[in-house]
Amino acid sequence: MIDISALLDEIKASPYREIVIATPHTGRLTFAGLRTGDTVLGPQGQWKEKPGTQLATLERERNPKPICAPEKGEISNLYSELEGQFVEAGTPLAVLRHMLTREEVLRLILQKALHLFCAPERAKYYFTPEVDKKIRASDAHSVAVRDGMEILIMSRMKREVPLHYRGPDGVIYEVYFKYNENVDAGAPLIGVCPRDQLSAIQEVIMRVQTEWKDRG
Amino acid sequence: MSKLQDWKKDRGEAPGVTPVALHEHRILVANRGEIAMRIMRSCIKLGVAFTAVYTAEDAASGHVRLAREKGGEKGLFRVSSYHDANELMAVADEAGCTAVHPGYGFFAEDFRFARRVTKRDRKMIFIGPSWKIIRELGDKINTKRLARSLGVPTVPGSDRPIYDELEAERIAKSVFDFQEQQGIQRPLVLVKASAGGGGMGIEEVYDPDQFRSVYRRIRNYAMRQFKDEGVLIEQRITDFNHLEVQVISDRSGRNPVHFGTRNCSIQSTGLQKRVEIAPGFAPETLEYSFNAERVLTDIVDYSLTMARKVGYDNVGTWEWIVTRKGEPFLMEVNTRIQVENGVSACISRVHGREGVDLIAEQIRTGLGQPLGYTQEDIATEGVGIEYRLIAEDPDNNFTPWVGRIERFAWEEAPWLTMLTHVPCDAPYEIPTEFDPNLALAIIWGRDLHEAQARGLTFLNSLRLEGSNNAGEALKSNVGFLKANTGRILHF
Amino acid sequence: MDNNIAKRIQSLRDRLTYLQDIFAGKHADNANLLEERLAAFTERARWAQLDDPYADIASLEDLFAYVERRLEDCITPMDKVRIVRHPQRVCLRDILENVYDNFTEVGGQDEHSLDPGMLIARAVITRRSGKKSHTQSVMVIGQEKGHGAEFRNGGSVKPWGNAKALQYMRVAETEGIPIHAYIFTPGSYPIEDYPGAAQQIARNIYGMAGLRVPVVAVISEGGSGGAEAIGLADKRLMLSHGYYSVISPEGAAAIEGRIKEGERATPELIEHCAEHLRITAQDNLAFGYIDRIVQEPPLGARPWHFDFFRHLRQEVIRATDEVIISTRRMPLLKSIALSRRRKADANLDEMHMGWGLSASAKERLRERRQQKFLRLSRQAACDRRPFWTKTATAFCDWLAKPWRTFKYDFYRKHQRQMRSMMEEVSNEWDLFRNRLLSPWRRLSHKLPGRAENAQAQLELTALSAWSGDGRKSKWNYISPRFKIDRTLTCPNSASYGCLDLWGPDLFAEFAGVCSHCGYHFPMEPEWYVKNVFDVGSVFEFNSEIEAGNPLDFPDFSARVAEAQQKTGSKSGCMTFEARIDGIKMVVAMLMGTFRGGSVGAAEGYKFVEAAQRAAKKRYPFLAYVHGTAGIRIQEGTHGVIQMPRCTVAVRRYIESGGLYMVLYDTNSFAGPLASFLGCSPYQFAVRSSNIGFAGPGVIKETTGMDIPPKYHRSYRALSRGHIQGIWDRRQIRANLKQALLTIGGRNLYYR
Repeated sequence: MIDISALLDEIKASPYREIVIATPHTGRLTFAGLRTGDTVLGPQGQWKEKPGTQLATLERERNPKPICAPEKGEISNLYSELEGQFVEAGTPLAVLRHMLTREEVLRLILQKALHLFCAPERAKYYFTPEVDKKIRASDAHSVAVRDGMEILIMSRMKREVPLHYRGPDGVIYEVYFKYNENVDAGAPLIGVCPRDQLSAIQEVIMRVQTEWKDRG
Repeated sequence: MSKLQDWKKDRGEAPGVTPVALHEHRILVANRGEIAMRIMRSCIKLGVAFTAVYTAEDAASGHVRLAREKGGEKGLFRVSSYHDANELMAVADEAGCTAVHPGYGFFAEDFRFARRVTKRDRKMIFIGPSWKIIRELGDKINTKRLARSLGVPTVPGSDRPIYDELEAERIAKSVFDFQEQQGIQRPLVLVKASAGGGGMGIEEVYDPDQFRSVYRRIRNYAMRQFKDEGVLIEQRITDFNHLEVQVISDRSGRNPVHFGTRNCSIQSTGLQKRVEIAPGFAPETLEYSFNAERVLTDIVDYSLTMARKVGYDNVGTWEWIVTRKGEPFLMEVNTRIQVENGVSACISRVHGREGVDLIAEQIRTGLGQPLGYTQEDIATEGVGIEYRLIAEDPDNNFTPWVGRIERFAWEEAPWLTMLTHVPCDAPYEIPTEFDPNLALAIIWGRDLHEAQARGLTFLNSLRLEGSNNAGEALKSNVGFLKANTGRILHF
Repeated sequence: MDNNIAKRIQSLRDRLTYLQDIFAGKHADNANLLEERLAAFTERARWAQLDDPYADIASLEDLFAYVERRLEDCITPMDKVRIVRHPQRVCLRDILENVYDNFTEVGGQDEHSLDPGMLIARAVITRRSGKKSHTQSVMVIGQEKGHGAEFRNGGSVKPWGNAKALQYMRVAETEGIPIHAYIFTPGSYPIEDYPGAAQQIARNIYGMAGLRVPVVAVISEGGSGGAEAIGLADKRLMLSHGYYSVISPEGAAAIEGRIKEGERATPELIEHCAEHLRITAQDNLAFGYIDRIVQEPPLGARPWHFDFFRHLRQEVIRATDEVIISTRRMPLLKSIALSRRRKADANLDEMHMGWGLSASAKERLRERRQQKFLRLSRQAACDRRPFWTKTATAFCDWLAKPWRTFKYDFYRKHQRQMRSMMEEVSNEWDLFRNRLLSPWRRLSHKLPGRAENAQAQLELTALSAWSGDGRKSKWNYISPRFKIDRTLTCPNSASYGCLDLWGPDLFAEFAGVCSHCGYHFPMEPEWYVKNVFDVGSVFEFNSEIEAGNPLDFPDFSARVAEAQQKTGSKSGCMTFEARIDGIKMVVAMLMGTFRGGSVGAAEGYKFVEAAQRAAKKRYPFLAYVHGTAGIRIQEGTHGVIQMPRCTVAVRRYIESGGLYMVLYDTNSFAGPLASFLGCSPYQFAVRSSNIGFAGPGVIKETTGMDIPPKYHRSYRALSRGHIQGIWDRRQIRANLKQALLTIGGRNLYYR
């Protein structure tokens, strides 16, 4: 079993992370009038259906798109010299100082507690259509995995290779990769919780719930 | 810009002279790697400004270096993806580009992209055939019917989607009968969904009694997948050589010329070309069971006939199947510059001079300059071989190999042209997004034997080393290329 | 102070709070006067300072009565809304106890019920004729508000509550007893749980349009869809202080004032809307949507108004009797019976008449009910068809009727027999001929087939003849938005990684469909008219029927004119005849571009006409819903009445053998969905459409629930069983044709 208290102390020592917000593509950038030090909100609502605070507008081919804050935080740096400029893809436009929330701390600790199935190669990963359908219909928890089950598709060099799950049987508890994003070799793809350890995981969650107080 | 707009209609019909001088143009190089470098070099040669693009993954690629060194201000932009036309348009507008060169792959044969370039508010020139031609020749049924209407031979079978089961059976039967008459040992019929592509919904039939069930399966698949139950029925040709004809024309579309033929029969198991040779056959050196000279002139004539008919107005390649009996059948038309254009260029002489650059010719004519020479001015000399050096495992189904290249060196020679975006002076991480093509080596010899010998010399001198995360050594197709060099042009 | 006085004081206190509540601060002087007097009396009564407390309290009661009578004259529509919502207002249980002689609640008791908001009871009325007494059964169905009891949900009925109502209507039909429906609802509970609020109401309305027993409805609070779910009746009575409306005045004010989520409309605006929506009994009687007003005591009936219950009993008995009488055949007896019952002093308890009906009388009852609804609200639409057009149409119909009867009812039936006979004859002939020719054939077969071989080879290598290249179908109409050089972001791009789409490609070649994920961007109605049906086959009719402003709602005429100007159409419903590969059909299209595709009197009129035309011509009938936001609230009950009306038209069409299909696109919500659209057995949706009863804002407002982002997606409607399939826009034509051929069968129409 993992030492939750030690982990929590470690996180408490630096309870924030810096989020660099970069332009998703090229275009002309207009800031939304925020300043360094302002607090912004992440997506809101029960289903995160309301987008976060708008930081800037990126207009490309007469299609203005809002760039919104992905998480709650304080703007620690704003590249305001880019105002009105044409920017390349991946240009940083702001840095957020984001205090870790209970959910994130939980995710961090769970990553230690769950069985992680990691990426064998740097590639893009997708769930197989059947699994994807299940996840889209409800959520990842509904998918039970078995050793040797074909669960993911690894896509690289224009070739798609099915990936077989290796590890204990259980349910997918966490998904660590995003659609159409490259995952480095060795980075975790999914966190699996064996059925008999579900209660242990619940206990971890309880511990974090009680011992972590959100700040900021 | 307005001068340009007035002149540029969507067919890109050029008057006798270039209205805008070449140096007033700026070309967006909408591609990566080796071809991007070739386009940039041709631009430099022609005195045309260019703007290149790259993605974060490609930051170490040679094409980025070249653009940084030679592109000047607004010569290089980072984009999110080469596949996103919006990125290319935004960069083109920002840099003030007047034309777009798509290279090969990506948007090269996308008529929508070509249409967008020429029809948007700020119009640009698409360096390639006009979009209507791309659309027309991009459709295989259309191409086949066009060919038949001109008497150009095509693979025996239906040239339109068949919707009726009885008709399908009748055609399948006559394809079987036809092959029997030709004396083919094991007749095969190919059934494919007419709306499909990329190898989906295709099945072979060797037994006439089996046809009906295969037909129904394909038809139902097509209905579900493409909402169109049309099916094509063709002869399946198994023993053939893959030949191509390099065609180029200026914007008038009236005077296409060819730059000879190529033979691309040495392929990987996934039917990807690995070695290309110009010319297509070598009747003066090798014995063929048919009149090879005659086949080469026939396919060239057929190709030009079709090019003239559609008013083809840029570079393009007519791909042919030649059977062991020496019958050519048109397969498809590639409405773009091809990887292997360099091998045709290296054996070509215009007005007797060497150093033909087909990409430069493509840009020049694409921007509206007249071709300036006719077929009589073009001659060929010797034999060219192009090797594609790829990090892959030929023993294991040509699976791509990903990792880090630590050493990449070869012996220079006057008969060798090396085209690569892989830097030789620093280690290079192969990006996982794209094919692991490393380089193209073009070798020239006065005749086939010399070319083969020089090819082996080159391959033996090549040093290619690297390793991946797991510490395994680099795998490449060099051995495959060596083993196949002796097979070149044999049929 | 004795108990009796205390009770009477308490009752006066209740009357006072009631008075204060319903006027919401108005007439404060009167209220204060009563309050003072009551307080003074109470004070003195407590200390027993009164000589004759009974006389004093009687006079105080008189004063109350006097003030109430006086204030009665200045009641506004909004006051009536507050009256019907007041916990002290009579509710269905009071009526069951006081109007009927006995009753048994069925389908649940109090909170132990499938839906406590819907109350169903078997009740009896005992009447005498001479010395004999007769007990007559009725099925009482209605919403129960339960004097503000929480679990009753204010009479807001969930889908399963309405389903229960329909079930017991069917029971009543089997048993042959009349139905008395009491409408006490602010509206249906707008959740989409199986089968969906709208879908259930549609089933109810469709069911009631064909019930074979007398139905009498009494409206106290008639809130839109919830009211219609049990309101399609032969006689509709309305309590004098009730309201019957398309939407609550607050809801109307929120829409009128363009109120955003979380804000509230001002009381003035709400009052203004209440007044102009014309929701009172008097207004609705004038429009003809109710048959009679049941007078209530001043300031509305409360449970202690025993006179009112007696009066109500007489009225419902009279209404039921009248319905029974109306099915009789002999006009003279009919009018005598009617006039006897309409006498002011008639005591219907003493005049028994049976409520059973013969089979043919049931048919007549149904027919009368359907005709009654079809006649309603015609005056509310502006029919600008020239007089001669109408006459000509009527004349043509008159001429064509016998021809059609001949063609479809006689000729078609016998045609089949003729054909099969002809087939037999020709088969015999073929056999005979073959036998005759066989020696020749045998000879010719032996000849070598050289020519055939060459022919086959040519076919495999030469250009074949091929006309229609259907693969590259060009659209006959493309959205004008294709001219704009800009890109658009697909709403699914975050989850599917769609790249931005170039407008000219998207709106021309792609038909507004994201080429990556298949999301459908909304298109103009013209796109469908021109691309789904055969070119040149569209023939519009009744285009001169215009949407108007029947309630003279302030500023609304200008807004209608603006919509007409913008869309070039006179109403939100376009009706036309069209063909798909030669299959003729009648189409009614609700256009989302015309005031959100809302349905008012003109749209309903055109829809009914279209259904009748389809029935007359024996064509399939397609309702294509490009978009509808619901009933046009500015038309008030003129709009609401379209729900039963159009459903009746649809039911008549379907029962005459027609094929009625509905296709939803973009957003389809509320009233139309809960009636004439939702009742179709074959409903399909175009991808990316949203289907539901009430939008997320309204659900949040009425139920306090947060709605998940994809709550109204068509895929959910499909899972729930509301719709039968989801089609790609580019394949509407093919799918429609297939549906017509498979559902309609070979003859397409008229089984």
